[in-house]
Amino acid sequence: MKKSKTCTALLLALIMCIGLFAGCGAKNVSDSDVPDDIAADSDVAYIQDKGTLVVGITDFAPMDYKDESGKWIGFDADMAGKVAEALGVDVKFVEIAWDNKIMELDAKSIDCVWNGMTLTDEVLGSMECTNAYCKNAQVVVVSSDSADRYKDVDSLKDLNIAVEVGSAGEAAAKELGLKLNSVSTQADALMEVASGASDACVIDLLMAGAMIGEGTSYPNLATTVELTSEEYGIGCRKGSDLAAYINKVLSDLYADGTMDNIAEKYEIKKLIVAQ
Amino acid sequence: MFWTVTLSLLQGMGITVKLFCLTLLFALPLGLLISFGSMSRLAALRYPIKAIIWAIRGTPLMLQLIVVYYGPGLLFGWDLLPRFMAALVAFVINYACYFSEIYRGGIESIPVGQQEAGKVLGMTKPQIFFKVTLLQVIKRIVPPMGNEIITLVKDTSLARIIGVYEIIWSGQAYTKSAGIIWPLFYTGVFYLIFNGALTILFGRIERKLSYFR
Repeated sequence: MKKSKTCTALLLALIMCIGLFAGCGAKNVSDSDVPDDIAADSDVAYIQDKGTLVVGITDFAPMDYKDESGKWIGFDADMAGKVAEALGVDVKFVEIAWDNKIMELDAKSIDCVWNGMTLTDEVLGSMECTNAYCKNAQVVVVSSDSADRYKDVDSLKDLNIAVEVGSAGEAAAKELGLKLNSVSTQADALMEVASGASDACVIDLLMAGAMIGEGTSYPNLATTVELTSEEYGIGCRKGSDLAAYINKVLSDLYADGTMDNIAEKYEIKKLIVAQ
Repeated sequence: MFWTVTLSLLQGMGITVKLFCLTLLFALPLGLLISFGSMSRLAALRYPIKAIIWAIRGTPLMLQLIVVYYGPGLLFGWDLLPRFMAALVAFVINYACYFSEIYRGGIESIPVGQQEAGKVLGMTKPQIFFKVTLLQVIKRIVPPMGNEIITLVKDTSLARIIGVYEIIWSGQAYTKSAGIIWPLFYTGVFYLIFNGALTILFGRIERKLSYFR
């Protein structure tokens, strides 16, 4: 008799535990389903309804990074702020594990990924992407006075080229059978060329835009041949109308010069793609 | 630089320790409850519990974290739990299952004769459990529990998969943003210190409990 009472008590306790979890879930359903139903399936309406645009990012200067006070800034962060303004909502940045970006979008823990994301076939297939807004490339850098001599890949054959170990630039240069000299960072690769230790280096255009030419530490270097090129876009949930909305806002921001101003601020003006 | 890194790693360590403590707080009692379930005479209770233990111990914790955090949104379109909360739920369920098996081992190692003696003396079942069995069980399960709890300290690093900014995340952030890798290795020092303290603590507990001998 006593035994069965204990069993019953335990069983009830267990059921209560399960009920607790189920209870949480049930409450959440009614919370989120209502706005969803009202808004049919418009993602823009969903975001406006909850009042926050949640942007998934990683720490990636100059697109998304923190200033001294810990606020997220950068070209992408500032542009996302402008889009949130147009939507009439607040913007919130969440650092995510980049590999999980599609799950984050589909589970609605974030609304878009806006982090200098290269538009590859995989990305285009799994997300609703905006138009390209910025381009990047692996580009060859040489001293400005010899830049005229290196207009195509063939002319690079005899040069000693510094590349960052494991970078996309290294891969591109290796594929062309160029003479490589590996260093540990892109900044080191620039130093190699500036000091004359190497004839040229391969770095990405984003970095080159910020670090070489007039008004930088390397005024005597210039970019020449682009080995491979890529474009950056913003990723939204598959089938979301947010991508089209962002495209529209971007073209407005491009037309009134806002986009150029922000790009100027982060020294990537040359890389902006016209909207 | 060393101090900025140390400070930001300490921040990450704060999350790690919080996750660790809260997991223990909920998983220790829940584990005991599950162990009762798995030893129940009622097949309708015993088999489902055994199936849950099998599922939780049979799948990676990393997968369980992803299921708990993204699952509700992906499958049902529900609102998500906050990231830390989701990590906590996954850890509590996972560790409660492991703990329950340790409890069961401990409880079943106590000779049945003691329960029979208790019955003869007219003690109720709860009385026998709390006054006779439990203390001996606690004593016997300290080493395996210590093992599992130290594993928990290190397992908390999995929470970064769903964006909980624990100490490994803080260390990796420097690799990604500043291109320096030593902060990642430096995190090992924090784990070693924390686990060193736990090892000493468990040594003390074992000595304190060296009665009945």
